[in-house]
Amino acid sequence: MKWLELLQVAGVTLVAAVTLVVLYSLGVRLTAIAGDAQQKSPVLVRSLAYVCFAVCAAAVLFGIYLIVPYFGK
Amino acid sequence: MVALVIALALFFDFTNGFHDTANAMATPIATGAIKPKTAVALAAVLNLVGAFLSTEVAKTISGGLIREGSDGIHITPDIIFAGLMGAVLWNMITWLKGLPSSSSHALFGGLIGAAVVGIGFHSINFETVLQKVILPAIFAPLIAGLVAYICTRLAYALTSRHDPETGDKLTQKRGGFRTGQIFTSSLVALAHGTNDAQKTMGIITLVLIAGGTQAPGSGPQFWVIAACAFAIAIGTYAGGWRIIRTMGSGLTEVKPAQGFSAETSTASAILASSHLGFALSTTQVASGSVIGSGLGRKGTSVRWGTAGKIALGWLFTLPASAIVGALTALLVSIGVVGVIIAAVVGTAAVLFMFVVSRKSHVGHHNAVEVEEAGHAVRFRKKKKSRKTTPSEDVQR
Repeated sequence: MKWLELLQVAGVTLVAAVTLVVLYSLGVRLTAIAGDAQQKSPVLVRSLAYVCFAVCAAAVLFGIYLIVPYFGK
Repeated sequence: MVALVIALALFFDFTNGFHDTANAMATPIATGAIKPKTAVALAAVLNLVGAFLSTEVAKTISGGLIREGSDGIHITPDIIFAGLMGAVLWNMITWLKGLPSSSSHALFGGLIGAAVVGIGFHSINFETVLQKVILPAIFAPLIAGLVAYICTRLAYALTSRHDPETGDKLTQKRGGFRTGQIFTSSLVALAHGTNDAQKTMGIITLVLIAGGTQAPGSGPQFWVIAACAFAIAIGTYAGGWRIIRTMGSGLTEVKPAQGFSAETSTASAILASSHLGFALSTTQVASGSVIGSGLGRKGTSVRWGTAGKIALGWLFTLPASAIVGALTALLVSIGVVGVIIAAVVGTAAVLFMFVVSRKSHVGHHNAVEVEEAGHAVRFRKKKKSRKTTPSEDVQR
């Protein structure tokens, strides 16, 4: 049986999905904070949010990179 | 015979496409992230692109499941024809019932049934069946469900906003997740294209090799790749609205943050599994994710009745398509007359189910529901444009 591989798949799935969701949620949260009226430095917070989204986009691109075998060689 | 098998294989690809549109696009349609028509078009294009991107899976399909070559057992076009018949019919039945079931399992089931009748029990590698089909079927929804549950909890925990002084709930502003859904669901659709179109390519190549028109061990030819890519894209565009309804609203109510978590889990699980060699079914992963995300949000209930029906469907996928495959193999073994009978009966059955679906199409108000989703989207869009910044979009 391939228990090790199963465990590996489960682990990688968990880590990848949690990382993405945490980053994106942070982005959403920071965007929300930046939109608040009493916020002193909305520009800083907003750019932080964009950093979060950018890392997410990079992760998605990495996913595509994994799908396409042409890059894998 | 070879031409007949290729036609049937392409039809299987078509059913596979519209069966699996739901995996990628059910949740964004349900939350209104993408309009239904746009969603299926997007999925179709991504499936098309995905099918061209990779042919790795096509080279390994069917390998190991049926013992071939060395023992002197050869897969004949007859057996593949019978197997495909089983898979196609089972796909149509589950579509009629609106159940998301794994197209690959149907294919495996049909081939197994056909091989048992056509060659004998010794032709089946049961250990491989257990490892490739049965165990993943148990673990795929479990893993995806658990991950989606954790992700949903995290997403809600991270974005829940309370006023620090009064402790009142502020506007949550989770509208951003809806945009994110477009990307995650696209990734799922692309992954599906790179995986599932390959199966049909593999089958057609197998037939061509078996028929002696292609050298053994060579990859799929270009026209095969193109035909399969278009078949799955057209199928996806046709959209299995019944299954989308089950996945999008039948299992649980899906909100953007949930949908985003579910799709991220689905995409990660599929990518991880296809790259670490423990293949999981896209359909089962996606269904598990939706259920998991339903459990993760407070105040959402999962309709276990529907979930149970789906699970039952999975349980029957392998044996049911195996039986159809076996029966077809019996018919085919009679000779040319048998092949004709099988082809006619199969076509009639497909047409019959299509007619039945047309009837209940109106009865169940299927189309209305999809249209309603479309209205909801337009309504939300208007609301959005009235406000000054997109971030003020109130979490629904």
